[in-house]
Amino acid sequence: MLDILSFQLVSQLLINGILFGTMYGIAAIGLSLIYGTMRIIFLAQGTIIIFLAYICYWFFKLLGIDPYLSILLVVPVSLLLGMGFYQGLFREAAALEDKNISLLIAVGLMFLVENLMATMWSSNPRSIMTSYTAYGVSTLGLRVSFTRLMGFIMAVLSTIGVNLFLNKTLVGKAVKAASEDMEAAALVGISPHAVNGIAFAIGIGLAGTAGVALATTYSFDPYFGFIFALKAMIALALGGMGSVTGAFLGGILLGVLESVGSFVISGGWADAISYGVFLIVLMFKPEGLFVRSVKKA
Amino acid sequence: MKDKRALIVTIVITAALACVPFVINTETSYFVYFLFLSFTYIIITQGWNVVAGYTGQISLGQHAFFGLGAYTTAMNWIYDITKTGYYFDPVTMLLSGIVPAIVAIAIGIPLLSKLRGDYFALGTLGLGEIIRVYFIKGGTYTGGPIGLLIPSNVYTSMRPYYWTGLFLALFATSVVYFLTRSRIGLALTAIREDETAAAANGINILKYKIFAFSVGAFLSGLGGSLTAYYLFHISPESVLLLKWTLYPILMCVIGGSGTITGPIIGAVFMTAVFSIANIYLPETHPILSGLLIILVMKFMPKGLVGLREKIRPR
Repeated sequence: MLDILSFQLVSQLLINGILFGTMYGIAAIGLSLIYGTMRIIFLAQGTIIIFLAYICYWFFKLLGIDPYLSILLVVPVSLLLGMGFYQGLFREAAALEDKNISLLIAVGLMFLVENLMATMWSSNPRSIMTSYTAYGVSTLGLRVSFTRLMGFIMAVLSTIGVNLFLNKTLVGKAVKAASEDMEAAALVGISPHAVNGIAFAIGIGLAGTAGVALATTYSFDPYFGFIFALKAMIALALGGMGSVTGAFLGGILLGVLESVGSFVISGGWADAISYGVFLIVLMFKPEGLFVRSVKKA
Repeated sequence: MKDKRALIVTIVITAALACVPFVINTETSYFVYFLFLSFTYIIITQGWNVVAGYTGQISLGQHAFFGLGAYTTAMNWIYDITKTGYYFDPVTMLLSGIVPAIVAIAIGIPLLSKLRGDYFALGTLGLGEIIRVYFIKGGTYTGGPIGLLIPSNVYTSMRPYYWTGLFLALFATSVVYFLTRSRIGLALTAIREDETAAAANGINILKYKIFAFSVGAFLSGLGGSLTAYYLFHISPESVLLLKWTLYPILMCVIGGSGTITGPIIGAVFMTAVFSIANIYLPETHPILSGLLIILVMKFMPKGLVGLREKIRPR
């Protein structure tokens, strides 16, 4: 067993894990933002990502728009979609004490979108084939495909972008304040509906980025979304709820775990391993691995 | 007075339902199948109701208990462990409830003592998925991904299914009813309302939470056992699906969680919606169900039980 573990192999496994993990990372940041202000886990996130991946796919297939160029269309669409979801579906439920209502609306939305896609566009797996899909970068005997690298860059850029937004702009600071303490934020004049809406818009906006990254790199089908949301949730818990960078690093950690786990043991067990690690982290370090101090009990 | 009326209504409804197989041909009627399905859902929905509706601990791992119940039934039959009859054997069914309950206690001790709220929900989800992977990947005894086949030649009639389902649904409902009328029920509700205050009043939180969790697992296991008898083919793809967690939650919340009649109304209502949509809109039925969940939650956040209060104010 050990003799086949060369440096090259290990590094390749790590790189694959990191590159795939960034996908979980972006989804987890979206979840983190929505969780931050609304205190619900938006289970439909994965399905929405798949939906936006389809949008990117159709832009490419029907209009011939380059998938990376279509970010300029997909992200605004998804921002609007996020705002629309909040205003149309979650506005009343967000004010209620019982968070199960919002959670169930998310489940309903997931059912709806998932099956809508399966009915309209069939449940066959799809993938985008461009002229550069097969193109790869090789250094030191390690091979990284161009599309995965682009996905990674997009993920890093959006993490930085969200971080800047939360820390530098007034609106971002309001969202951050609301996710730390909604009541206190409301006392200083921050409207809960506004920050919830913004958090939702950005969360779904990130889903747009993830959708493009997914569509260009992997094949996808309508039912992939739920598992993806589960993985994003694990990434979020690993990184620590409410931390943007933590969520991103959690995603990468999960990607590496899965990549190494499925090589060392076997494909099916990789899921059990990631859930196992997730449980252990929940038990012993519930505030997440990448958060230094606990602010509130 | 109110309790007496409820008792009479329950007896009348149960008696009427028990007579249905004498009036309608059970082998050809879709209605009987529909009622049987509703009973199954009532059992597992009441299970979730104890854990989440009354105690406030959102468990997302009920499908693991459901699957464990089904597997216990199948394995006890195939490997001839208890040496009793196996087709609708009370010992087997009881065992199918006890095994998940024991598992629930074993995993409840670490999970419930450490995790709270969303984290508990995520933890149970993780555990449920680990158990599912274990059944897919593992096992010389559980048949791996193919699962187990119970000899289906014992099937003679739908009638025993119907009556057992009815009995178990009644049993599950009475368990919840008597639980909530007892001191234990008060403790559980107190934990749901305010954990700190409950602890300050001398309630052993961990003990009661584990108790509720295992009762929920027991009822889910019973539902799994009943389903195992109906399916005859137990595999991770049939009994360990996440739908066995999501549907009870749906039914419980749509009916009204934390009430006794809510899960019953929710289970019957949702089964009706699923069945009708399945017949008339076979392609699009999950879309309709999704839409319905959103609409009910948006306009009736208290569930269908809350509707009555709206119409007839106290």
